[in-house]
Amino acid sequence: MGIDIPFIWVAFKEIAKAIPLTLMLAIVPIIFGFFIGLAVTLIREYRVKGLYSIANGYVSFFRGTPAIMHIMLIYFGIPLLLDRIFASLNISFQTSSIPIIVFVLFALSLTAGAYLAEIIRSGISSVAKGQMEAAHSIGMSTYQAMTRILFPQALAASIPNLTNISVGFLHLTSIAFLVSQKELTGTANIVASSNLKFLEAFIAAGIIYWGLSIIIEGISHLIEKRVREYSKGGVA
Amino acid sequence: MGKVFDPSLILEFIPTLLKYLGVTLEILAVSILFGVLIGIGAAIPKLFNIPVLKQLVTIYISFIRGTPIIIQLFLVYYGLPALLALIHIDITRMDAFFFVIITYSISNGAIFAEIFRGAINAVEFGQTEAAYSIGMTPFHNFTRIVFPQAIRVAFPNIANTVIGSLKDTSLAFTIGIMDMMGRGETLIASSAHALEVYIALSVIYYVVVLILEKGFRLFEKYTNRYQGTEASVA
Repeated sequence: MGIDIPFIWVAFKEIAKAIPLTLMLAIVPIIFGFFIGLAVTLIREYRVKGLYSIANGYVSFFRGTPAIMHIMLIYFGIPLLLDRIFASLNISFQTSSIPIIVFVLFALSLTAGAYLAEIIRSGISSVAKGQMEAAHSIGMSTYQAMTRILFPQALAASIPNLTNISVGFLHLTSIAFLVSQKELTGTANIVASSNLKFLEAFIAAGIIYWGLSIIIEGISHLIEKRVREYSKGGVA
Repeated sequence: MGKVFDPSLILEFIPTLLKYLGVTLEILAVSILFGVLIGIGAAIPKLFNIPVLKQLVTIYISFIRGTPIIIQLFLVYYGLPALLALIHIDITRMDAFFFVIITYSISNGAIFAEIFRGAINAVEFGQTEAAYSIGMTPFHNFTRIVFPQAIRVAFPNIANTVIGSLKDTSLAFTIGIMDMMGRGETLIASSAHALEVYIALSVIYYVVVLILEKGFRLFEKYTNRYQGTEASVA
């Protein structure tokens, strides 16, 4: 059982075709998750009655269970729920016609929402309270103070966390292969089993993930440098 | 799917799955233990600036942090036998459990190395200088001065890594190990009640994470016990 080095390159080219799908599976949940996280943060910040404990429970549960559970619960649970609703409304819609990727995106968005809620919260709490008071004192409305003063600073402080979650979600997409998505790991698995060269295929997939992670970290480093230009801490 | 959702099955599945929680926790405990050892070993070249080793460790950490755990699992599962076959050791019949332990230990090791390095660097160098000036040996300086302060900084990250690692073990079943998740998969195959099994699994994972979080919070309070008084004096 030797290693077929040239095959790694063959597998690499084949698996690389799955990069767009993988990136889509990572980016879409983060975007949706950002809005979910924002909503959760507002609910928790203003202690909205009724929703407050739901938001807390949501964040705690999704951070406390493996993401594979979220995918499976959504994948098996939502069709069941929808079928019941459609049956009671007498609509003949087959939930089995919904592509699996929709469930994956939905589940990962909920996962991202929980993690981003915590990131946004820590970002906001990193902005000094006086900033908000100062904005109010010069006559800004709460909305203006939030969008012009609070969020830009909170976002800048959250960049390292956002980088971590971006890389984390890139890696998280690999479990989508368990519900037969043809993303990087899924494609690697297909290439591996059709050529019976498992090690080579997964080496190729590993290199691609590694490369993508390094690129994400590089981009965030550039962004951070630019953003920090205006908000240097310390004494110098 | 196919069958009607039956909530009572969730309660029925939980005891069956709980019997395999031990395997999951065993994977977690052993891989954390080895992970800490690897982490210490990998942090040393970076802390003491040892050439060559330092670059190797950097590549190791970067690779582990740059690839999903599932890929690492497959690489060890398929790669280790191929690697050892070169020196004529046959491990193709080895239990999947060992591959899982090896993968998670290597993976945790990289994360711990970064945590340890960061924590030790967070302790001011003045502390070491002060320790030397009152005649402490480097060993005493580390065990009595630097380490107790570093562990305080490192602990929240260590706790997060343990919890993250517990959640990662849910992927070990992909190479055919019979942990809680693996047992869940066989339950689904035999009962065809996938949703109930996954709900039961989620409940167990969630409760274990909540217990771990609670325990870690207590320990964190303990490691911070001198911080509070310091703040009240200031």
